[in-house]
Amino acid sequence: MEQKLRQEAKALLEQNKVDWIIGFEPGSLKFTATPLITRDKNDTERLIINPFIVNNLADFLTGIKGRVGIVAKGCDSRSIISLIQDNKIVREDVVILAVPCPGLIDLVKIERLAGKDRDELDDISRDGDKVTVTVDGQKKEFAINQTLFDHCLACELPTPQEYDILLGEPGPPAPELEVSGQNIAKLKEALPAERWEFWQNEFSRCIRCYACRNACPACFCQRCFVEETEPQWVMPVPRWQDNLIFQIIRNIHVAGRCTDCGECERVCPVNIPLRSLAREMYGIVDELFSFKSGMDKEALPLMAHYEQEEAEDLFK
Amino acid sequence: MAQQSEWEPKLLGFLCRWCSYAGADLAGTSRKKYPANIRAIKVPCSSRVDSLLIIKALRLGFDGVLVSGCHPGDCHYLTGNYRARRRIAITKKFLEYLGVEPERLQASWVSASEGGKFAEVVTEVTKGLKEVGPNQLFSERKLDGTKTKAGS
Ligand code: SF4
Ligand code: SF4
Ligand code: SF4
Repeated sequence: MEQKLRQEAKALLEQNKVDWIIGFEPGSLKFTATPLITRDKNDTERLIINPFIVNNLADFLTGIKGRVGIVAKGCDSRSIISLIQDNKIVREDVVILAVPCPGLIDLVKIERLAGKDRDELDDISRDGDKVTVTVDGQKKEFAINQTLFDHCLACELPTPQEYDILLGEPGPPAPELEVSGQNIAKLKEALPAERWEFWQNEFSRCIRCYACRNACPACFCQRCFVEETEPQWVMPVPRWQDNLIFQIIRNIHVAGRCTDCGECERVCPVNIPLRSLAREMYGIVDELFSFKSGMDKEALPLMAHYEQEEAEDLFK
Repeated sequence: MAQQSEWEPKLLGFLCRWCSYAGADLAGTSRKKYPANIRAIKVPCSSRVDSLLIIKALRLGFDGVLVSGCHPGDCHYLTGNYRARRRIAITKKFLEYLGVEPERLQASWVSASEGGKFAEVVTEVTKGLKEVGPNQLFSERKLDGTKTKAGS
């Protein structure tokens, strides 16, 4: 897959079919990959595909001018489609290099399973349904559904539907919805007051770094409401009230654009379970309006259309 | 507890000028009785009501918010209330998930000729708010677990 990607990416640049290539190269730390954005065809030698290509690269599309060849997993491809639906990018300007994705490995889960820090691990390898972690020369095996990111366990579209070049054989979707929805199910069992208190506690840790917003491909505004000063909707000081309001509104803004890619939660430096918010909104939108973002590039955005009769039970 | 019985909920109403606002007027001129708990803000259309306004109202200490617009099909701008319906629906469901009592965000369709319905809606919403009590969502917790006044 990697070889094919390098060839294709190089050819795209050489034949002047794109101005940019966006993909992944090895990160500076163990078991990491980092985004590679380049116009230089020689850089394509560094492109990689492995279970650690975690970033949603669609996030970069709105900030780049010109035609782009982009490496896309299933979730990324949905974000790209969502941007097309929103008229943020034009389909003809992107060449989608589709990666059939078997799921990404969550290092936090691996660390917990292995009882070791990631720096102390010698190797992590994946073979079908098993993930083998090597520590101090010893091999430990884990089931794949113990090691993948929650959002990967709920992935509905591991292989992009919309693409220009397919880099491998499409695999079947393997949704483990139960595992991936555990946090939400637990929250829903709690009383309203307990749930509010839970979020209050979580958001008292938020430092308002806005990493969640910046990494989110659906948050593409040039000027975000949090930076408005007249009126000032939220205070810049990270108090839990304003932190929570920021996140509530953010989720409302991305409703119908959010593809449950899990980036917000992954990038949060203080580990707030943001996906439990995003995923719930994703579910609400689907339940009320049978709408899933990023599935069909011809579909109108959620807030740009309506049905004559819907959600009426919520109105007096 | 003595205070509790005197407590009256504060309800903020965003009323569409083409229907519900006139409906509220009609309720007044035809002497329909409804609780004085509502403070009305006239908006050009129910779709003007950004979710930010709703949450800001709760943040400032209102006990509940009512958004009221024209019946589906009757929007002065043809489609405003349909768009409002989507936005309010997701806001309501999402707030509920977070743990906000559903009574605190209500929405209704009230036309300019439905003074009676307006009075009923406000009565019902106010009753619901009395049941759930004062809004302490955004108040600081004291160390002993009790809360200070909302919006402080
Ligand atoms: S990434 Fe986390 S800490 Fe940063 S603003 Fe978002 S919720 Fe807050
Ligand atoms: S809100 Fe989170 S899960 Fe949804 S698209 Fe943005 S980063 Fe991805
Ligand atoms: S939070 Fe809302 S305003 Fe801010 S970038 Fe995201 S979508 Fe735009």
